[in-house]
Amino acid sequence: MNKDNPLLPQVATVLDITSETPDIKTLRVAGKDGLPFEFMPGQCAMLSIPPIGEAIFSITSSPTCRECLEFSIKEVGTVSSALHDLPPGAHIGIRGPYGNGFPVDDMKGKDLLFIGGGIGLAPLRSLIGYCFSNRDQFGHIDIVYGARSPADLIRKSEIKETWPAEPDTSVYLTVDAENPDWKENVGFVPAYVSELGFKPENKIAITCGPPIMIKFVLQALDKLGFKPEQVITTLEMRMKCGVGKCGRCNLGPVYVCKDGPVFSLAQLNELPAEY
Amino acid sequence: MAEKSLKEAEKIREIVGQDLLGGRIGLLLGWEKGHYWWQSRPLFAKNEADLEKLTWDSFCVINLSRYLLEELKEHGKVGVLVKGCDARAFNRLLQDNMVARDRVVLYGLPCPGMLDYGRLNEEAGGALISISESNGSVTLKTGTGEKSVERDQVLMKKCAECVYPDPVVYDQLLLSPQGKKEGVERFKSVEDLEELTPDERFAYWEGELSRCLRCYACRQVCPFCSCRECFVEQDNPRWQGRAYQPGENFMFHLVRAYHGTGRCIDCGECERACPVDIPLQELNRKLIKDINQLYGDYEAGVDAEADPPLLTYRPDDPAAFSEK
Amino acid sequence: MKKMIGLDKLPALWEQLSAEGPLYLPIEERGVVCFKPWYEGAVVRLDALNGVVPPKDIFLPREETYMRYQGGSQTLEIEAVSPGPDDKATLFGVHPCDLKAVEMLDRVYIDQEPGDSLYRRRRENATVVALACSSPDPFCFCNLFEVDPADAPGADIMAYLSEQSLYLETRTEKGETMLAKAESLISDAKDEPERPREVKTTDFGLYLEGLSDNLKERFDDPAWDNLYKSCLSCGVCTYVCPTCYCFDVEDFGHEGAGERFRCWDSCMFGHFTQMAGGHNPRPDRKERVRQRFLHKLQYYPQTYGEIACVGCGRCLRSCPVNLDIVQAVKALGGEAVEQR
Repeated sequence: MNKDNPLLPQVATVLDITSETPDIKTLRVAGKDGLPFEFMPGQCAMLSIPPIGEAIFSITSSPTCRECLEFSIKEVGTVSSALHDLPPGAHIGIRGPYGNGFPVDDMKGKDLLFIGGGIGLAPLRSLIGYCFSNRDQFGHIDIVYGARSPADLIRKSEIKETWPAEPDTSVYLTVDAENPDWKENVGFVPAYVSELGFKPENKIAITCGPPIMIKFVLQALDKLGFKPEQVITTLEMRMKCGVGKCGRCNLGPVYVCKDGPVFSLAQLNELPAEY
Repeated sequence: MAEKSLKEAEKIREIVGQDLLGGRIGLLLGWEKGHYWWQSRPLFAKNEADLEKLTWDSFCVINLSRYLLEELKEHGKVGVLVKGCDARAFNRLLQDNMVARDRVVLYGLPCPGMLDYGRLNEEAGGALISISESNGSVTLKTGTGEKSVERDQVLMKKCAECVYPDPVVYDQLLLSPQGKKEGVERFKSVEDLEELTPDERFAYWEGELSRCLRCYACRQVCPFCSCRECFVEQDNPRWQGRAYQPGENFMFHLVRAYHGTGRCIDCGECERACPVDIPLQELNRKLIKDINQLYGDYEAGVDAEADPPLLTYRPDDPAAFSEK
Repeated sequence: MKKMIGLDKLPALWEQLSAEGPLYLPIEERGVVCFKPWYEGAVVRLDALNGVVPPKDIFLPREETYMRYQGGSQTLEIEAVSPGPDDKATLFGVHPCDLKAVEMLDRVYIDQEPGDSLYRRRRENATVVALACSSPDPFCFCNLFEVDPADAPGADIMAYLSEQSLYLETRTEKGETMLAKAESLISDAKDEPERPREVKTTDFGLYLEGLSDNLKERFDDPAWDNLYKSCLSCGVCTYVCPTCYCFDVEDFGHEGAGERFRCWDSCMFGHFTQMAGGHNPRPDRKERVRQRFLHKLQYYPQTYGEIACVGCGRCLRSCPVNLDIVQAVKALGGEAVEQR
């Protein structure tokens, strides 16, 4: 973050852009000397293309990746679609990191259960990568990930090949509807979580996905016996400043961009449900 | 408050009360007193207790018709108190297909014109405590004494320039008509502006619009601004930038005025709502005047059956349609 | 140190002070009084009550460019724009309520990490001359917030207007430096200024003790269902409010060159929280009205210990449908017991 003016971006270069799904692309972005800034998993950055504007995205790569930042971005608005259309080597503005990030220290020594849906894997992937790079600090890792169809799953080679091969790790994939090429589970993520019947002991669940998925995942975890303190999610709201001033992501006494976007369910229960 | 308006309020309460409590309407849009005697605010009456608060006095200036856009989503049938301007606003919404006539009960209130707190204060010379009204004059009570002024001297500007004080559409007329006002010089300031050179006129508007805060009160209060999505908020393409500079000021106010050509009912709510007193009605009136000159006299909102000039096509239109 | 200056000499003082940097005064233009930089021939209205727009725009301008860019997609260059240490400004004639409101913004923009250097520099570079209020109008209710209309603790100079003179009481070094520059126009005060005593503002019968805490349980209160009904979703209340501080960020220019600025924005606008994908956490007027009032009455106090209102009365005066914070407090149980 620029010390003098946190709103001021630096110039960064888009190294390359890969297509993940019909509407999601991953951009690899580097500053002048590698990483534009140090960060922790769960934090976000503001990307901008003048004069189109700025938008906030969660960082998809792990801080242990030292060459560049990765952003898996879904095309939903003017900035995201302009980012999708950039050629390799294009310059953009970047500023950050913003937000609190995942409580990594509190997770140490614990088993972790990641539950993601669609583009919601983006922020989780940063933490998953961090855990794999510091494997001995964490217990067993379960990853449940789903999307509407096989084509809508992101990071296909990682979820199918790399991650299942990591030590002490289980990956469970699911899609919403039957598909001739799909051999794994069919069904919604929350139902799959219930079916898999995870035990809450010494475990922290981290979930991110569409609001409707999160809502039912929280119910499923509750039924499995997870306490609100054991459940962590990350919120998405409109943000402009990233430093808790411009007002868009104000939620009760907190600003999601600064005090979040990562909250435990226990914390969320204390806030107005206006997200 | 004048005894007359108290009696009128009583009568209004009685009549609308029968309909509201009898279930003919689910909601009544009226006015209630705010914190001050010179402010009345919208009342959303659903029951007898709400009706107790219903007021009718010389400060019921807020146009209620626009609230129909939201309230008809919730209520099957809504009653509205309409002054002359409110009734024309209703016709505007009706012509724009924004409301269904059979779901609204209009209670017509011929309007003597509303009073302006600022003008009352000016006349009083400060420390105004209260007023009383009788027979077209207003007595101002201050800390040091009393003073009487003609009612016309302390009307709101929009009311002093009003041509149609009587509702042009209603289901029931609750008070005696005031009659159409003749000889109102509502185009005087437009004519003055027309006398200026283009450069002078540009400088005039640049100055006036430089105060614009872009709060959009003029748009939000306006009966012709009922678009579900305004061009201002459209993102792709982005028509309206947020910079506070002349180009963006003109963009907003001129596009808005043009959207109201032949549709502005001349209620003056935009100008009243503007916190920084931009004379917005001069823009709208210029277009009303031009429409009258080009297409013959037309008063938007007066007759819901009359076709708005810019929404009709005739082979002998003064300007040719695009020939491409 | 007590000084005085004859009212006839004020134009000379304005001229002298404005040579150092912009001198903001309540200036009347086409019938509207707002704080504006002084210019020759300006109609200065020290006697006017609160101008339509509060002086917050001197520190948090309606629009502020903080970056310029140039170059295309492979040659982008970004340059910071910020007020320098020489950008000195003087704010003259601000009332105690408005100055208290600026101090509320200070907590957000200076004290709360990360600080905002644009705001901080403007604030640090400014000398503030506060003006005592002797005759508040019926919209004023600053007494409720323990503002003394006759004294502004945060001022560099406290000024008192009498029929012939303006008394100036310096409170800080910055204030003394300012007066030293205008020595020839100013004399030592021979008598005590006529200090307005116990200035009473409108009493709406509100009782704020415990209100912020009580509101924590009233997010779903049925009172909200009635309160928002008249709201038009315009931004008047937020733009004329001295403690509102939300902003937007936008670019102005084309692909080759332009600038990025921030500008005032309002939580009352539907698009304020509208996300690119279509989801809107505060989609309707009810949520937005609730957000604005809870921010003033619960969220800000929860963080900073004080209700974010100074009783300046601007929302009571300017809301086109007379929906204001007094009405909100009354609806939310903040009415004094004997009035209930």
